[in-house]
This record gives sequence, structure tokens and C-alpha cells, in this order.
Amino acid sequence: MRRVYLDHHAATPLWPTVRAAIARAHDEAWGNVSSAHQEGRAARATLEQARRAVAQALSVSAVDVVLTAGGTEAVNLGVLGAAGGAAGEAADLVVITSALEHPAVAQSVEALAARGARRVVLPLHEERGRDALRELVAQPSLRSKRWIVALQAASHETGTCLDLPEIVAIAPPSALVVIDACQAVGKLPASRWARPEWLVGIAGAKIGATAGTGALHVPRGVALAARQLGGAQERGRRAGTPEVASHAGLAAACDALPSRLASMSRVAVLRDRLETALIARGGVVNGAHTERVASVTNVSFRGWRKTTLVAALDLEGLSVSAGAACSSGLEEPSRAITALHPDEPWRAESCVRASLGPETTDDDVERAIAAFERVLARTPG
Amino acid sequence: MRPPGQDRVLVAMSGGVDSSVAAALLLEQGHDLVGVTLHLWDASGADKVGRCCAPEDRDDARRTCEALGIPHFVIDERQAFRETVVDPFVRAYRSGTTPSPCVACNQEVKLGRLAALADSLGCARIATGHYARLSIDAHGGIVLERGRDRGKDQSYFLHGVAPAILARMLFPLGHLTKPETRAEGQRLGVPNFAKKDSQELCFVPDGDIGGFVDRRAEERGEPAMSSGVLRDTNGASLGTHEGVHRYTIGQRRGLGLGGGPVRYVLRILPDTAEVVVGDERELLGQGIEVRDARWIGEPPVSTFVAHVQARYRHAAAEAVVTPCGKGFVARFLEPQRALAPGQAGVVYLGERVLGGGTITRAGMLESVDTTEATP
Repeated sequence: MRRVYLDHHAATPLWPTVRAAIARAHDEAWGNVSSAHQEGRAARATLEQARRAVAQALSVSAVDVVLTAGGTEAVNLGVLGAAGGAAGEAADLVVITSALEHPAVAQSVEALAARGARRVVLPLHEERGRDALRELVAQPSLRSKRWIVALQAASHETGTCLDLPEIVAIAPPSALVVIDACQAVGKLPASRWARPEWLVGIAGAKIGATAGTGALHVPRGVALAARQLGGAQERGRRAGTPEVASHAGLAAACDALPSRLASMSRVAVLRDRLETALIARGGVVNGAHTERVASVTNVSFRGWRKTTLVAALDLEGLSVSAGAACSSGLEEPSRAITALHPDEPWRAESCVRASLGPETTDDDVERAIAAFERVLARTPG
Repeated sequence: MRPPGQDRVLVAMSGGVDSSVAAALLLEQGHDLVGVTLHLWDASGADKVGRCCAPEDRDDARRTCEALGIPHFVIDERQAFRETVVDPFVRAYRSGTTPSPCVACNQEVKLGRLAALADSLGCARIATGHYARLSIDAHGGIVLERGRDRGKDQSYFLHGVAPAILARMLFPLGHLTKPETRAEGQRLGVPNFAKKDSQELCFVPDGDIGGFVDRRAEERGEPAMSSGVLRDTNGASLGTHEGVHRYTIGQRRGLGLGGGPVRYVLRILPDTAEVVVGDERELLGQGIEVRDARWIGEPPVSTFVAHVQARYRHAAAEAVVTPCGKGFVARFLEPQRALAPGQAGVVYLGERVLGGGTITRAGMLESVDTTEATP
């Protein structure tokens, strides 16, 4: 049985040039980037080239890019690093975040709340969420506080996009803005999620590079408290010897972003076809009332349980996911879908996410629909 | 080419030896297998000792499936387990009975949920590592029999599984002894073939049922159990106790009565928080009443003689079984020890399980009304 992979929001197949770049780096750039000899210089050159490629993708300057081991680290470093290091330093903080966040943001913000920060979770995908933010900004008692606005540019679950410039414009001008762009990069133009004055995190695993690669843009002048100690690498913002070969892959993936982005109009057509077919078979689309990226549809099937659906589809040769990454198999209702559809709790328990990429073909979509048909004909259990 | 799923078998993988070997045997026979581990319970706090219900077991199950090259899924059934096994277990102890949670689990959660899951996953059949045997009788009915290894036989726990589900089951270990199972595991390269058997109740790994019931009730905001008095059969007070949920009928240890004659718990009276103790002779009971029975074949309509087993670890004893309403009354030919309401009474004809249900009354049964029995 030929399998169909529709879980590009979890991991993407390696982009062809990525594979070659990684192999080349393993041959030529295996040295320690901090070493003073030729092998070290070769590694350093490859790493700096990766930094330039990321900077170009974000339209920022390369010295402001910190390379990280993945998107979660980038986002953690952004939120927690911007807040400052020591315990107790969070008491003067107001942290604004949305109800749709990935745990990388949500749990970082929770950690700040535990250290005394005022955490405000708002439905910023709706007008009332932005109104609530306006009211908060108007509160005189909060004016003297340090503000952090930590937001996901595009939802990993439903693809819902936030209007970042509009939201940021409501926040106080001094607010530090940290954007989780892991699911936006390669799907939306950088102008939608990157600004020279914002901290922006990306993950290589969502754009055809390997997991364990990522980057954080830190605007000059932002004092970032390092999370990882033990060396002056990455200008003291991230200690530890960087993994050069994987980041050479990230560079190749960043170079390929224009073609990834260009494929999104075709991906949108495929996604819409899949979505229409699933609606016809009893599915309801989550976040359909919001602006979404082209690559994903998140559909609930009442009566089904999401983990059962994912397992059944897997056995039919179709790889999709239940939404939030979860290795233990525990069935926690999705917070994002609960936030999008608070009056219909069943949606968060019965949702599956199908996410497409540039590699997805017409035939893949037809096979995916057929797999859904075979499974949905059964009794949900 | 056969349609997909036609021969797909869902195999329940607990992470233990038995289910692992069951899977390996079926794979050797050429079945198309899907491994499923039910996540039933999260041990917390003081209960987080021992190794049951632990992530390690799920890891073992995953590792075995990897070794066998079959897909593996963990399915979250914590809610079903809590609602149909743990909460009734706690309620039963608090009301002075001695529940058999493994019966409820096998019936409702394990095989009940697995059957529903099998439907969803397109699996025609369901396999487990139970020690019990299945066959088809001359009329096409499903027959459940004891496992060949009498020390491991689990047919007692399976008496209430719906016949329609039994008909879909495969028990590859039913004809094996435990040592044979381990030997098969070794032969087939099952990674955990030497793993220790689990002993205590999976959700009370430290064996302290009283403590578990207290903690669980407290979490649920239920009042603490009232203390009460231990009495002898003449009503004389022998001491106090900290709640009837800490006792089971036939219990000898932990009565706190100091020296003197060996005494056993005879009766538990939850309304007055009394625990009645007496000697071994007084522990003997004549029969049991089961108000709601499940039968694997046609329900019996008239009195018959069979073997009735009133506890998992007891031998079945010969009894006269009289159908009565939806249940039955069994009168043992020889009095039996420690018959306890809450346990299952299971009726056997030779090796074959006819059916059974939860014991509602036990003991002398002078006043049992059998007039409801219909011919």
C-alpha cells in the first residue's frame, strides 16, 4: 500500500537540496566552529552562511540571528530570554498571549506567570480579544510595567493566522514582541510575521530541513537572558557547540523558501478539495471562520475520538494527526480548538489535522479521501 | 486480494509477557496484526510505587511491537476505566462489599472498549493474552473454557463478556502453561519474555486498598469513612476499626485483636459500621445469590447441578443452581469458606463457563425467595 503523508505541520520531508547540503557539511564542515584552525574555520563559515540564509528569509540582519536546536528552543529563548533571567524579575511583567498558542509559547508564558508575571490570554483571533487588549493597555496601573506580547503567527492546529501588525499596534509601543513563526514560515510571506523590531522564532522541521534546527531573531538592543550556559557561542545568547551540518540543511531550506511559498496557491486548491470532501462526509472544519494558511485543514467528526481516527487512517495508509503533538497518546482536548469553538466541546475531542506541503499531489488527495471514506463507513469507537 | 482489514487482528498489548507472546504467536500464524495498548490509569502520589499502569509498560508494549514489526497505538481509556472500574470499586468497598474489579475491567473496558476499537480500526478479530479457551459448539454457539494452566486460568474474569465479543476473540495462550508461554516468547524473540508477572491490582500497586479508597474518596470530596466496632457473633465488642472498607470477608490478618483464637471477618455491616468476626467454622457459607447474571449461551430455565466458583483464587465447588429472576441462587453441596458479596459467582459445567454475575448475598441464604424462578 502506497502511503499518503498529510502531516506536514508535524514534520516535512527533506527538501532535495537540504539533503545534499547536510551531506556536504558532514564532509567539509565537521569541525568545532569555535576552533581557531582550518577545520574550525570551515565549520564556522558554513554556520555563518546558514545564519545569512535565515536572515535573508526574515529580511533581518544576520548578526541578530541566533541559531537554535529547533523551534521550541527558539520560542522559549524568545519569551523567557526577553523576560529576563533571575527569579522574581517577572513581577513587573505583563505578558499578553493568544488562546491558540502552541505549548512552546503557552508554557513559557505559564512559567513567567509562576514567577509573578501578569499573564493575559486573549482570543486575539476575534475582535473582542483585541478590544480586551485595548482596555488592558488603557489601565493606568499597567502603564509602568514591562510588556511582552507573545503570539503564534499561524496556528499549528487549524492554520488560523493572527493579524500581527494590528494586534501589535494596540500594545504599548515599548512592548517586546515575540512571534512564533514556526508554522508561518514557508506558508505566508515574511512581511506577515517578521519585523526588524520583533523577536521571531522559526523551525527547520516545518520547511524541509531536519528537526533540531531553528533560529530566533533578536533585534539589536534587546537584552536577551541566555537560557543555556557554558560558552560564548552565538554571541553569548546560546552556549554550546552548534550542530553545523543540520544548519547547513536549514540554510538550504531557507534558500528554497520562495519556491515553497510559491507552491502554496496549488496547495490551497488541494486542501480545499480535501476539505470539501470531508465536509460532504460529515466533517466540520475547525477555525473555518478565521483566516487560515493554505496548508492545513482541521476537521472534527462527531462521535469519533481523535486518536482512534488517526490510528484507523494510519492503518489505511494515511498519515494525519490529532492536532497537538503528544507522544504519550493521552487524549487531552485541544486548547486551540476549544478556544475557537467554545460552545462545541465535542470538536476538540474528535478532530483530525491533515496538513499538506509542496510535495502533496492530486493523487495523494484522492487517496486520502478514499481512506477517510473507508474509515468513516465504520462504527466510531 | 482480500479487502483491507478482512484478516486484521487487533491485539491488546499490556506490555507484559502474555500479550507479547500472544502477538508473536499470531504473527507466526500469518495474521495481520495491530497492537493496541489501553492507557487506563495514571498512578499519582503515594500510589506511584510498583510498576503497574506505568509508562514503562507502555514502552515495553511499544518495544515488543517494534520487534514484531507491527503497528502500535496507545489509546486513552482512562475515563472508561475510572467510571466503570475504579469508582465502582471504591463505592463497593465503602458500602462493605468486596468487589472484583478485574471482572468489570475485562467485561467493560478491556474487551468492551477493544471491541469498539476493533470496529473503528477495521479489525475483524481481537486477540489478548488471556489464559482461557474458546471453541464453537455443535449448534454454532461460542464456548468459553478454562485455560489449560489451572494456576493462570482467567475464565473467571471473562464470564460476563458478551458472546458476540467472545465470538471475535482469539486467546492464543489458552492451551499453554505459563512456562510454555515464556518458552514460546524466547523462541519467537519476544524482548520481555522473562518479565515478572504483575501481582497486585494494577491501580493499587502497593496493595493498600484501604488507603487507596480513602485517598480516592477524598479526591472526590466524599466524606471520610466512619470508624466502628468489631464484634463477635454474640454481639460482644472486641475492639474498634477505622472503617468497614478496610475489611473483606474471610480476612484474618490486620484485625488488631491481639492474641487469642484465630478469627476471621464473617460479615460487614456498613449501615452500623460493624465488622463481625468469628472462627473458621463460622466462615463457612451454604450458598450465594446472584441477582443479575450473564449467560454465554441460552439462560438456564430450571434447576441444575454445576460447579460454582465464588472467588478468583477459590476452587469451583459443586452446587445446585436455581435460576431466579434475572439471576440465580447456588447452594453448595459442601459449605464454602468466605463467600463475599461483590465477588463474582461463576457457573461452570466441567471446563466450560456457562455464565455468572456479581454475588449479591452470600452465607446461609435461609430467606432466599426463589418463587420468581420461571420454568
